[in-house]
Amino acid sequence: MQGGPARGGEEARLLAQIAAGDAESFAALYDRYSRPVYSLAWKMLGDSHAAQEITQEVFEGIWRGAAAYRPGRGTARSWILALAHHKSVDAVRRQRIRVAEPLPDLPADAPDVVGQVLQRVEGAQVRAALETLSEGQRAVVVLAYYGGYTQAEIAARLGVPLGTVKTRMRDGLLRLRGVLRDVEESVT
Amino acid sequence: MKHEDVRELLPAYALDALAPEEARAVEAHLLECDECRGELAAFREVAGALAGGVAMANPPADLRGKVLAAARPDRGAGRSAGWPWGLAAAAALIVLLAATSAYLAHRVTVLTARLTTQERVLALLASPTAQSAVLSGSVQANVRFVYDRARGQGALVVSGLGDPGEGFVYELWLVAGKEPQSAGVFRPIPGQPIIVPVTADFGRYQAVAISVERGPQGAPRPTTAPILAGAL
Repeated sequence: MQGGPARGGEEARLLAQIAAGDAESFAALYDRYSRPVYSLAWKMLGDSHAAQEITQEVFEGIWRGAAAYRPGRGTARSWILALAHHKSVDAVRRQRIRVAEPLPDLPADAPDVVGQVLQRVEGAQVRAALETLSEGQRAVVVLAYYGGYTQAEIAARLGVPLGTVKTRMRDGLLRLRGVLRDVEESVT
Repeated sequence: MKHEDVRELLPAYALDALAPEEARAVEAHLLECDECRGELAAFREVAGALAGGVAMANPPADLRGKVLAAARPDRGAGRSAGWPWGLAAAAALIVLLAATSAYLAHRVTVLTARLTTQERVLALLASPTAQSAVLSGSVQANVRFVYDRARGQGALVVSGLGDPGEGFVYELWLVAGKEPQSAGVFRPIPGQPIIVPVTADFGRYQAVAISVERGPQGAPRPTTAPILAGAL
């Protein structure tokens, strides 16, 4: 774990320099984050070509939008990965529309889908953290984050009320927050 | 959207698990609510940690050149301008670009959502087990309910239905015995067919009906007599 406040401060500074148009800082940020950004997109989309496009979009977004980052509003890392996740989810949903997957709300195959999506999680620490959740909490967090499903789709898939999905999502994230506080497996 | 409603959606927002309209409502509230921004930041950190759970792979080496090519100093809008007017012009341009791209993103979301529902209806129509019911009643309109019991999927397809009046919406009901259950509200768009997707166990219901209710939410139980109905 080489994270910590010093690194966070350094990355916030890189973003500030990028906002001022500094190409060198941009290259430094690319070298630090292209791997986790690309890997997340690749795992979610299952396609290297699509993941490269996402990575390109994410960094273009950072180049143009670095000024929108506010250090008081969380770490640079979570800001960058949120951008990567957002674009990956968009692409996953477009992909689903294109392949006209069996309409996404039949409860019957739900356990399988959770299992399939969970296979994308290979980091030992994150896996262990997910293990601390109840089965229901794990299913909603995993389907939402790694599967790119909306909370309504998840409710339909699991055959539970939307309110239950919301509660499990909140409880699950709060619990993970305690367990995952220092995990920065991706940036090594 | 009210503060409490938005607060409830923050975990899903942090996981990108909201429908586009909900996400936009959350974003609008975040602009003016410090408390929600703070709470969201905490959920975002958790999401960021989850990103570290996927197996790491190196992007192809040639991607670096492509990405960095976008960041030549001469490409930044007004970045080399060292005087205030240049900055003001650049700022104005950025605001304009941001507004344009937000608008385009919104259009894409709207069109994508429309396409999704249309594909859903096409899939329904293509299903050999799909059935359809024509709704008739006190108003002139072409309203049909297509549904597939086996898959629990259905959609109301509406065209030529008049405006329900300022402040009112049409509400769709699924009727089991004497118990109507709301299946969504809608307002017609002049000159365009409307599709209202419905997921339900249609075996439980005997009829679908539409009544006029107060907008934008509609009512939990019908408060007026149905204007259109059809047997399932």
